[in-house]
Amino acid sequence: MAIQSSKATFPGGVHPPENKQLSEHGGIEPVSPPKLMAILLSQHLGAPCQPVVAKRDTVQAGQMIGKSDAFVSAPVHSPVSGTVKDIALQSHPVVGRTTAILIETDPDSAAESKPPFDRFDSGFSAEPYSVEQICKAVHDGGLVGMGGAGFPTRVKIEPNPAMPKEILLINGCECEPFITCDYRLMLEGTWQVLAGIRLAAKACGVDRVRIGIEDNKPQAVSVMTEAAASVKDLDIQVVAIKTKYPQGGERQLIRSLLGKTVPTGKIPPTIGVCVLNVATCAAIAEAVVLNKPLTHRVTTVTGQAIAKPGNYYVPVGMTVGDLIEHCGGLTEQAAKVVMGGPMMGFAVADLTTPLTKTSGAVTVLTQEDVTRAKHQKQQTPCIRCGRCLTACPEGLNPTKIAHAVKYNRMDLAERYYMSACIECGCCSYVCPANIEITGYIKTGKILVARAKKRMQA
Amino acid sequence: MLSKLTVSPAPHISQKLSTRRVMADVLIGLLPAVIAAGVFFRLRALLVIAVCVVACVASEWLCNVIRKRPASIGDLSAVVTGVILALSLPPMAPYSAAIVGSVFAIVIAKMVFGGLGSNVFNPAMAARAFMAASFGAAMTTWTVPATVDASLPTIAAANTSATTQATPLAWSKAVQKGQVEATYINEQASWAFWGEVGGCLGETSALALLIGGAYLLIRRTITWHIPAAVLLSAGGIALAAWLIKPEAYVNPLLHLFGGGLLICAFFIATDPVTAPLSVKGMWIFGIGVGALIMLIRIVGEYPEGVMYAVLIMNAFTPLIDRFCKLTPAGGVPDVR
Repeated sequence: MAIQSSKATFPGGVHPPENKQLSEHGGIEPVSPPKLMAILLSQHLGAPCQPVVAKRDTVQAGQMIGKSDAFVSAPVHSPVSGTVKDIALQSHPVVGRTTAILIETDPDSAAESKPPFDRFDSGFSAEPYSVEQICKAVHDGGLVGMGGAGFPTRVKIEPNPAMPKEILLINGCECEPFITCDYRLMLEGTWQVLAGIRLAAKACGVDRVRIGIEDNKPQAVSVMTEAAASVKDLDIQVVAIKTKYPQGGERQLIRSLLGKTVPTGKIPPTIGVCVLNVATCAAIAEAVVLNKPLTHRVTTVTGQAIAKPGNYYVPVGMTVGDLIEHCGGLTEQAAKVVMGGPMMGFAVADLTTPLTKTSGAVTVLTQEDVTRAKHQKQQTPCIRCGRCLTACPEGLNPTKIAHAVKYNRMDLAERYYMSACIECGCCSYVCPANIEITGYIKTGKILVARAKKRMQA
Repeated sequence: MLSKLTVSPAPHISQKLSTRRVMADVLIGLLPAVIAAGVFFRLRALLVIAVCVVACVASEWLCNVIRKRPASIGDLSAVVTGVILALSLPPMAPYSAAIVGSVFAIVIAKMVFGGLGSNVFNPAMAARAFMAASFGAAMTTWTVPATVDASLPTIAAANTSATTQATPLAWSKAVQKGQVEATYINEQASWAFWGEVGGCLGETSALALLIGGAYLLIRRTITWHIPAAVLLSAGGIALAAWLIKPEAYVNPLLHLFGGGLLICAFFIATDPVTAPLSVKGMWIFGIGVGALIMLIRIVGEYPEGVMYAVLIMNAFTPLIDRFCKLTPAGGVPDVR
């Protein structure tokens, strides 16, 4: 099977050290659930869930414990059997503190769950499942985009007459440094991912599928290419694309694979494209075929400052601290614990923060990784070198936006298209003055959103 | 353990690059020109450079102390200003004048505006303009390089004493005025390339400047756009003039290698603080600088125009930045 590769790529971007060697050879290992889990009620973009269980209720593994009637939302489920201990505020990796359901694991059912990779093989067919069935299972299973943004998957794949989909793109880029969870998933759960892709293609109503994988993962490219060749009823191709951060950004991937640009402020369906992460596809297969909600995911625990880096099949709701403990704990050099990769992840100080459906990694960085200047938060004045303009994959002027935000000029920030920023972090990464450009832009977006809310109220 | 964990916005890693490193690269790029100055003008040249650097760093430090701000001399930008200012001075520039110029560069042209990153004009060029106005005679006295003997072909009018010599651009002016044959002057182009001609400390050797410029380009300290724009526009105008009237205008190579065009293209116009941010802006800026240089050299009364060309375009930089607003990758959104 000839491997298809493409030199086409998006403008801008950066090449941070990949550091994938730390965990790329570690097979996916199951983790036994800890004594206490905290399942956050907001693990997705959209309306947060309301609890449907009460304190002291007993719950079964896979039981729905929170839901919302809003269209853009996804229910949450308990990964374990046990007792609801409390419904309380808990530290959240992104939004500060939100409500979580705390569940005490029943010691008799505390067995670890294994990923169901062996339940899928090359003989899979999407034939027996109707589009409605797939969409319902995907919604009821609480599926969200597992690449990071956490957009409810049902909304994405459901047929939408206003924006018909023409092509399905599968994101196997994993462009963030350190992270290897999608890579291992493609190697070990190849058939499960492929089954999910076929179900998603059926729901989307498309017969063209392109799987984009960065060319620094040749093994994943060849395994996926071989598997894809067995599919006869779909035009499905694996494309090895240039290794460059943020190749796995939705808008960047579309540009690289199709040469098309998603208009500023618009979403991919407006140009007939649906993009799904490989982990989401695996979860679709699990939800539709095995009727299993999204309660576990593959998470990479990595970094120089962790004793046992590797890839783990983790119950969603396990705290970062418990997972780090499972991996042998932090070493002396640990300077920063990041949920997600080093470019877009969120640093946490509170190790009781639970993992969410979108937590693809826990990266523990040393002072050396962070660099001294960044660690000491030393910023020097902008020398207008323009490196951030060159690095910006969205063609923006990051320094102008950051300075507008710094001086509270949101009107000016918007004139430089602040809302078009994808927050990839390339500008901060290249800045010789070590200015937290991305940080300023994120702050600016939050301030604008708050001001709009106040206007409505 | 918990207390040692830090929290900050993403990204959590960064390129190992600092402003100090950028400035250090510029200094390394200037090294060949400094060495060339030492070869052609001996100890005197190195002393002028040292005086300028010390005066620049000291005045920046004093400004920090007076304004009760953290010391900013560690970023090496004052050293760069000092070296560039020194390299744009005549070899026999009095030390006192060099010190006054350095203080002007840092205090008036840089720190008054708010320090590094906030200055409107290139500090070294602003100071040089100030010195040209204040020390007219000293700023136009050109010494014969130490490596050549004083019997070199020079122009009688400019050659008032045995130790002074006209610069290639002064010859060019003389050609325009019909004082000397153009063909005779054109033979000097190769000397201008190696550097055995009269001129400012750092501008005589085109070779040294090209080596330094190549270093900056390889290190990606500067992008190629501004140097290309400056050289193409200046070279293009010089070529056009020469083709139209070869008896009145000298060989364009003399314009490229002589005078401050190369140091301007690689080290002065590329000063990021005072140049536009966008690539389109860089082209406009560079073409403007090159065109103004040639306008002053050919039409104006001065033989050299680098300093004023850079200062004029510096003033236009905010305007250029405003005009060359970038379009996002996804195009300008329909509804704002």
